[in-house]
Amino acid sequence: MHEGAIAESIVDILKDTAKENKLNKITKVALKIGKMSGVMIDALLFALDALRNEESIIEDAKFEVVENDIKAHCFVCDKDFYFEELTDIVLVCPDCSMPLEIIEGKEMEIIEIEGE
Amino acid sequence: MKRVIVEKKILERNTESAQRIREILKNKGIFSLNFMSSPGAGKTTIIEKTIEALKDEVRVSFIDGDLDTDRDAERVKRLGVDVVQINTSGACHLDADMVLKALNKVSLDCDLLIIENVGNLVCPATFDVGADRNVVILSVPEGDDKVKKYPVMFNVADVILINKIDLYGVLDFDRDKVLKEIREVKPKAEVFELSAKTGVGFDEWIEYVKDFIRQ
Repeated sequence: MHEGAIAESIVDILKDTAKENKLNKITKVALKIGKMSGVMIDALLFALDALRNEESIIEDAKFEVVENDIKAHCFVCDKDFYFEELTDIVLVCPDCSMPLEIIEGKEMEIIEIEGE
Repeated sequence: MKRVIVEKKILERNTESAQRIREILKNKGIFSLNFMSSPGAGKTTIIEKTIEALKDEVRVSFIDGDLDTDRDAERVKRLGVDVVQINTSGACHLDADMVLKALNKVSLDCDLLIIENVGNLVCPATFDVGADRNVVILSVPEGDDKVKKYPVMFNVADVILINKIDLYGVLDFDRDKVLKEIREVKPKAEVFELSAKTGVGFDEWIEYVKDFIRQ
């Protein structure tokens, strides 16, 4: 369950951000997680939930996750390809057979927070 | 209520440490490999055989990540290689900070640094440990369905070793399907089919490592 380590990294960044912005409490956190990031969102939310008891700053925080689809690009044909499911992924261009580059879908980001 | 735009990468700190590792190794002219696989795929045996094949020409240091034991480290130590053990105490992967700390302990008077990650096909894929090349091992007894089941891991691989090929024909393992799925998930990966037990296919892999160190 590497989502535990990722949850800890999130809380570290949240604590720094709260301090910089003089927030005593974080009420909402928006996250962006790519489908190719290797993170299970349910496991991540479970781990974040478990940290509420230790970190009072996120005690009442609501975590919202936007899941990002996988977007791959063929630099030969200059075309984009989208994959909604990991199991569907084929990173070979159907037109020219060259390897596709993943340009979206691996991200793991904190987008914005709300607090007081 | 206050809204703050954060826009920060969650693993930024890990990425920075991985970058630091790359700089340290590059400055010393050390080439590095990070071995990942499920438990029992043959990471340690392949590492042992690789070190044996290289040791007359190449100086190797070894960082071993394991949950609790030092069994793998002890095996490799017998080959006369400088070994540092990282016990993750239950953590399912190595991260760049763990490897950065281990760099202070392991001999950097070497040409090749081998890192053995914790055995599983999920968690280590998410954490860059600063190696030049990620080597992912898939062994024949695990079955031919693993590439599409763990696409994130196979996608981070620069090199894929299919191990235990002495069991081709003994076990139901559709080699063509696996090679096709590897191409779908990571078209640019170098693929070597070998058996650490019989040594078949090993020469090509060793040549690849030597070529890489010579670069």
